[in-house]
Amino acid sequence: MSLTTDQAALDQWYVLGAVSHFPFGTPVETGLLGEPVTVTRRDDGVTVIGAGRSLPVRTTYNHVWTSFGTPARDIFALPEATEPDRRWLYCGGVRVAASGLRLIENFLDLAHFPYVHTDILGSEEKPEVAKYEVEQRRDVDEIWATKCEFFQPKAAAASDGGQISQYMYRVVSPFNVMLYKTPPTAPNRWDVIALFVQPVDETHSIAHPFMLVIDPTSTDAEIIAFQQMIFLQDKIVLENQRPALLPLQPGRETPTRADLSSVLYRRWLKEKALTFGTEPRTDGVAAGA
Amino acid sequence: MSSDWTPIALSRDVPDGVTRAVCLEGSELVIWRGAGEAHVWEDRCPHRGMRLSLGFVRDGALNCLYHGWQYGASSSCVRIPAHPDLTVPPTIKANAYPTCEAGGLIWVGKEGAGALPALPATTTPVLSLAVATDGIEAQGLMRDLDGGRLHVFWHRVRPGKVMLHGVIEGSADVSRVAALMRQIRTQYEEGVAA
Ligand code: FES
Ligand SMILES: [Fe+2]
Repeated sequence: MSLTTDQAALDQWYVLGAVSHFPFGTPVETGLLGEPVTVTRRDDGVTVIGAGRSLPVRTTYNHVWTSFGTPARDIFALPEATEPDRRWLYCGGVRVAASGLRLIENFLDLAHFPYVHTDILGSEEKPEVAKYEVEQRRDVDEIWATKCEFFQPKAAAASDGGQISQYMYRVVSPFNVMLYKTPPTAPNRWDVIALFVQPVDETHSIAHPFMLVIDPTSTDAEIIAFQQMIFLQDKIVLENQRPALLPLQPGRETPTRADLSSVLYRRWLKEKALTFGTEPRTDGVAAGA
Repeated sequence: MSSDWTPIALSRDVPDGVTRAVCLEGSELVIWRGAGEAHVWEDRCPHRGMRLSLGFVRDGALNCLYHGWQYGASSSCVRIPAHPDLTVPPTIKANAYPTCEAGGLIWVGKEGAGALPALPATTTPVLSLAVATDGIEAQGLMRDLDGGRLHVFWHRVRPGKVMLHGVIEGSADVSRVAALMRQIRTQYEEGVAA
């Protein structure tokens, strides 16, 4: 494995973990885009070394961000991060043997709730995915899916019964996504659950879930345990998808209306000519064409 | 013996309502049994590529674990739970391979495969056993035992790994048969023909 040459993948910001999860003074070895990187946290900040040089670092939203290239945009805006009553929760990195792009697609997917998160985020009695809206917001270069609704027996750690949850999804870069979801305790606001994916190589990723939630009752441990349970259920399916790389070639998989967000996400990746973590095409169509 | 058909498992090891993952020449296959009948398909759901061997058999159909798409015995998708009112287009199908059962074994065939090889009429499956070798010279290798005869079939999992499937004709002591198969394994792993 060595650093990818995929410029579209190089020119992005990536999370390597929550700042607080790095010990002071001890270098931590990890990987990004096929290349080893070393993260060191000191009193005066964080440094990241990779491919024999110092890489740019940001600590936005209390996470360590870096890039091998020149991102066209700064790290996305998250207005909820300024709201004083939100709890910031870092769930820790989960290693998954799959393309990071598969992780993002799974995160965007409502239809798996009844089968993968049975009797928690979905019920086999109510598997229907109602029509929702998707759009590519060209001004910010983001993908949004809105007006998503799903019946959930236990939508969050603080739930004491079933509810129809409202969701919005927001893909801010190829490997970073978040969802907005109605909390059981504040139906007029949105919990934010982000999934920052660190693509270690094309078929190995570390998922860093991050939450900005309104939940005055549950403990941190309860909320994190709930999220980890959900994510471990996803890990089982993610590691058993074939191929591990995301196919972009038409006809390799079979989307239906419930997969509209995945269809738009894949189209957006093609537009960016991103190939890292995608299955090589056999139809002679080059990336970005 | 015709090479159109390859034995990939003992029938006994895939009871009704069960799925089983098998690797043949590096390809991932799922064997599942519903309403008594065994099926061999590519181990990959056409929707989003989930391995079907992690799915579940219900009402004689195979259901994918990821989004619950249901595939009938003909391999056509018959239900997409996210769209309960949708009549599923017949073009949505799992990739099924010719399958048959004979001699206590499940066989997968090439497209347009001819007749199955002649097999002993009544056999008892004994054991499948992995061997670190590239192949055995013939299917249906025989060894006589007191009161019966062992037939050894095999499929190649990947280069360097073969799975033996032993069935007995007549009545032989099962522990003696297992010992004999292990002896065959040792002979192959040491590069000596049995
Ligand atoms: S991957 Fe099989 S139903 Fe979606
Ligand atoms: Fe999930």
